[in-house]
Amino acid sequence: MRGQGSPVGRFLAWGYLAILGMFFAVPMLAMARFAFQSVPTALLNAQTLTKGWSLEGLAHALSDPQIMAATRTSLLLVLVSIIVNLALLLPVAIVVEVSHPVLRPWVSAATLLPWVVPPVALVVGVAATFRGTVPWFLASPLSLAPFYALWAMPFTYRALENGLRSMHARTLVEASLSLGCSYGRTITRMLIPSLWPSMVASACLTAALVLGEFAFASLLLKQTLPTQMLNYQRSDPRGGLALALFVMIVTAALLAVGIAALRRRGMSLQATGI
Amino acid sequence: MTRGTALAQQRWAIIVPFAAFIGLFLLYPVAVVVYRAVTPGGSIGLDLLQAALQGSYLSGFMNSSLLSAVSAIIGGVLGLLLALVIASIERPRWLRSTLDGWSAVASQLGGVPLAFAFIATIGTQGILTKLLAGAGINLADLGVSVSGFWGLVVVYLYFQVPLMFLIMMPAVSGLRRSWREAAALLGASGWRYWVTVGLPLLAPAWIGGVLLLFVNAFSAYATAYVLNSGSQLVPLQIRFLLQGNVISGQEDLGYAIVTWVLVLLLAGLLGMAGLQRMSLRWLAA
Repeated sequence: MRGQGSPVGRFLAWGYLAILGMFFAVPMLAMARFAFQSVPTALLNAQTLTKGWSLEGLAHALSDPQIMAATRTSLLLVLVSIIVNLALLLPVAIVVEVSHPVLRPWVSAATLLPWVVPPVALVVGVAATFRGTVPWFLASPLSLAPFYALWAMPFTYRALENGLRSMHARTLVEASLSLGCSYGRTITRMLIPSLWPSMVASACLTAALVLGEFAFASLLLKQTLPTQMLNYQRSDPRGGLALALFVMIVTAALLAVGIAALRRRGMSLQATGI
Repeated sequence: MTRGTALAQQRWAIIVPFAAFIGLFLLYPVAVVVYRAVTPGGSIGLDLLQAALQGSYLSGFMNSSLLSAVSAIIGGVLGLLLALVIASIERPRWLRSTLDGWSAVASQLGGVPLAFAFIATIGTQGILTKLLAGAGINLADLGVSVSGFWGLVVVYLYFQVPLMFLIMMPAVSGLRRSWREAAALLGASGWRYWVTVGLPLLAPAWIGGVLLLFVNAFSAYATAYVLNSGSQLVPLQIRFLLQGNVISGQEDLGYAIVTWVLVLLLAGLLGMAGLQRMSLRWLAA
């Protein structure tokens, strides 16, 4: 910014940061207050500010049977999405980086495709195709998993590709094979352990994606945590907000772990398009 | 060569399931949508694609575009300013890295919890609404309601500004100090430097970033749905059509709308990719 050294410039810079900081902090604080304090906003003043704080709302929400069922569904979806995603992409990334670099641009482009088709658009196609031909497939909430795995592809593939490149996988594999190690052993003993950070990063980001995805689940009438959270909030606004805040903190923590793991390898998350 | 043979034998066993997965769960549904959009009543025609841009659907596209454009441009300006400010502040070293990490998280937040947070802030029972009312300012009179146009813009800025910051930070760091010193030596004022050197150099990255923000806002669903499920925005109209709430004869309209959305998003993302490449070339020179 101009006036790097000038006091006026510095004042403006810090003032801007302070205003933006408030814009980002106030909604979270307001949400936390609403979630954990039972005093209505209308009665809030200097005397009541310290009264009525408790975690009751959250406890209430978490013990709701429908929320519990939705949480189980969402956790199962997280697990299945991560497994499907890595099971598909890990071998592909290894093949492309180690032995078939010719395929690199094709595979790279293919993994970016899901990014162009957002959930709210793909859901129309899914309803038009699978609903008529394989209704049993869409009947299960687990049918969301392949699609979540799909939307996790752009960042998962980039994380794996980056991991393989930064360890010079091709050279290492050649060295390992020429020393007489078998292919299977090279992959299980060398590539997978070295790729562990990439896998953890993409698993965290996939989990955050699944825990936050609303459009696709809602339009296919599936009771996942985000969709059930909205239903629940209608009957218990305070508990609903407490639950939302809780889920948001969990999601943010997952994102932070995933992003930190990517950052350590010099990758940024600017174009992942969750 | 063992390396070649072992993986070469298995490469199809690995590539084919991957391709089949993308084909089945992504390309096939999209192809069916586009096919139905261009073949209304069984023969090729553009009637549906035209109908999807008329009446309330046209206003849906207009509203969505306006909302996305306004939130992308405001988010773009605020995000750029944030990047410039952070680049100018050297002292607490942790500031930049903290903000980097925080932005990466915040740019991905959204959905139901974010909408709830803003209801608790600027909703009718929101704490800021009450606080301002106490000071004699009525948010509703100013046209800011959490379910209205400006309310949505404000909520979207919560993820748009951090996203723009992430996009602009590498470009802003790419501006060399020596360019600025050279400009100063040639007699250019700080203002002149920004207008003729700094901002033009940042322009491709910025425009590309705004396109990405536009796409991001256009396809956002959850926040808009929670705050105002009745508003005329394309994603909410898609929901309406999908659930069969339509006049007979319009069932296929959803396919045409989705086709237009995909065209718009693809154009935006391709434009963004091109501009990002240009920016990289300019700033890496």
